[in-house]
Amino acid sequence: MAASGSGNPNMSSGEAAKLRSRTVPERQLGEQLRAVRDRLVAEFDGLEVVGFRGELTLVCEPSQVPDILRLCRDDPALSCELLADLSGVHWPGGQREVVAAETTGWPRYDRGDEAGHIELDYMLRSLRHNHVFRIRTVLPDDEPRIASVTGIYRSAEIMEREVYDFFGVDFTGHPDLRRILMPDEWEGHPHRKDYPLGGVEVQYKGATIPPPDQRSY
Amino acid sequence: MSDATGAVAPGRPAGDDGDDVTVETAKRERAIAAAAGTLAAPHTYTVASRGWEDLPDAVEDDLMVINMGPQHPSTHGVLRMVLTLDGETVVDNKPVIGYLHTGIEKNLEFRPWVHGVTFVTRMDYLSPLFNELGYCLAVEKLLGITDDVPERASAIRVILTELNRVSSHLVWLATGGMELGSTTAMIYGFRERETVLDMFEFVTGLRMNHAFIRPGGIAQDLPEGFAGRVTTAIAELNDRIDEFEDLLTGNPVWVERNKGVAILTAEQCLDLGVTGPVLRSTGIAHDLRKAAPYCGIDQYDFDVVVTDTADAFGRYLVRINEMRQSLRIVSQAVARLPGGPVMVADKKVAWPAQLALGPDGIGNSPEYISKIMGQSMEALIHHFKLVTQGFAVPEGQVYCAVESPRGELGYHVTSNGTNKPYRVKVRDPSFIHIGALADLTAGLLLPDVIAGVASLDPVMGGVDR
Repeated sequence: MAASGSGNPNMSSGEAAKLRSRTVPERQLGEQLRAVRDRLVAEFDGLEVVGFRGELTLVCEPSQVPDILRLCRDDPALSCELLADLSGVHWPGGQREVVAAETTGWPRYDRGDEAGHIELDYMLRSLRHNHVFRIRTVLPDDEPRIASVTGIYRSAEIMEREVYDFFGVDFTGHPDLRRILMPDEWEGHPHRKDYPLGGVEVQYKGATIPPPDQRSY
Repeated sequence: MSDATGAVAPGRPAGDDGDDVTVETAKRERAIAAAAGTLAAPHTYTVASRGWEDLPDAVEDDLMVINMGPQHPSTHGVLRMVLTLDGETVVDNKPVIGYLHTGIEKNLEFRPWVHGVTFVTRMDYLSPLFNELGYCLAVEKLLGITDDVPERASAIRVILTELNRVSSHLVWLATGGMELGSTTAMIYGFRERETVLDMFEFVTGLRMNHAFIRPGGIAQDLPEGFAGRVTTAIAELNDRIDEFEDLLTGNPVWVERNKGVAILTAEQCLDLGVTGPVLRSTGIAHDLRKAAPYCGIDQYDFDVVVTDTADAFGRYLVRINEMRQSLRIVSQAVARLPGGPVMVADKKVAWPAQLALGPDGIGNSPEYISKIMGQSMEALIHHFKLVTQGFAVPEGQVYCAVESPRGELGYHVTSNGTNKPYRVKVRDPSFIHIGALADLTAGLLLPDVIAGVASLDPVMGGVDR
């Protein structure tokens, strides 16, 4: 996450702290995950530990990701043979209404004056030690850029293409970064929350059904 | 191959017919080959719509780029492979996917949590119950009610998903057999699958896209007479699986087409993220049912099937024996099926409908209707609120994975505290396996590509989502 000197110019340290407080730390990690946590926290500076529902998440700077993943793969105590998955979540910025308990209509996702950002979650799985944990990093949502990890896990090749397609994250060093599920000439990145949703045109007297996030019902 | 027929125009500017990818790939491959000094002639011939007969003989010495799919009977659905061929040997394979992309993950973000089940069940359409289970386990984990799900519901989930594994492997056998020319395997595979689908129809009312597993439990209890019917079906299926083995395991044509074909070593599998039967065919006994058991599946006695041949034939043996193990699990689960409810007790989560069979079919039970309409205003309000608004799920993100017939099927589910998911990301094993196609098919002859893809068993509904 963004401390001073990180590759994340859009986020002050105060804003980053606010993001951290979103997930409540939990003390009930399994013994194995505690060992993973201790090993990685000892090796890398500034890792932040999040426990939720017994799952371990380590939040790091974008620049640290390749080094952490390489250690996770090569270290015998961690021995993560599989990069199980790479997932992205977009949290848009800007100060808008926060309506968590909205019942009719559609939920609003805006949470006040945070900088817009994209979370990337690298799920790592070890067959030998039978553990799975998450390395999370946060990128600004305008011009998100991070080094590709295809040199460490080749499975990242297809996963990074999907994240590029859906979120527009530029993985530098990826051998073939193209859209994968959307058509090549598609504009925009559909899983970003600022991607406009389509309405439905109906034939009756030129009426239109508005997109889901603009309906009043 | 199917759509690669057409006219030759040497030196013709490429890409006016929407085949830019092919042409660009050809150019790139050519550039690589030229750099390596392996390319004899620097000509590019683009065969765009018809007229193979005009193709000069010089092409024989060159690499050829052809499209296989998306409309090809042997590519397991709408998979398109851009193959670079040297003669009949595959030099490179660039899969192109997305033809079946329907934005299911995005759709989930605009429906209450319970509705999500009806979407995810349509992703990997050969293993719908695994999709439902993975999603529901993730939602339950976010709600913190994993331990509150009744034992009976968990046992029924295990029964249904393991039966689903059998039906999915049977389709693999049927389609894979058909692609290799064994129409007998195709007819038998689809016939046996009907036995399983009949069970699903008996229990859930539908042959596929069940939406039967719901957050907190399952939609309804098992119908009367289920135990008897499923026991008969298991005995029948076990016989039929023996029949498959008699038909195929020693069959010289089957062995010839599969043995030593499409080898993917353990190192390659792990590097490329390949899981499931393909990984187990390399001798690695990784199975999430043992590594990270869900729904109490660890209480049943079963083996993880492995072979160490790492080829298409090994994957065949793994899948055949996995079906037997799944039937073993089902018969144990049916024998010691616990009683009790099939939905969590928490009325703020459990779907309020009390279904019963009436003269006009299944519907809300008359007692329940008379209660909410005539006696209890609060019950009516509760019913209305839960059905129209659903329940709110605490903030956070979880990852839940189940062992689907194709490998690790994972659900990243993020909630921001509202009554709808904030983001659902699916780790579909078929999608990850598409990334391994280039390695799997490198150096194979063209007909072996078909055997290789069949042994990988990708389901394009899951790949494209």
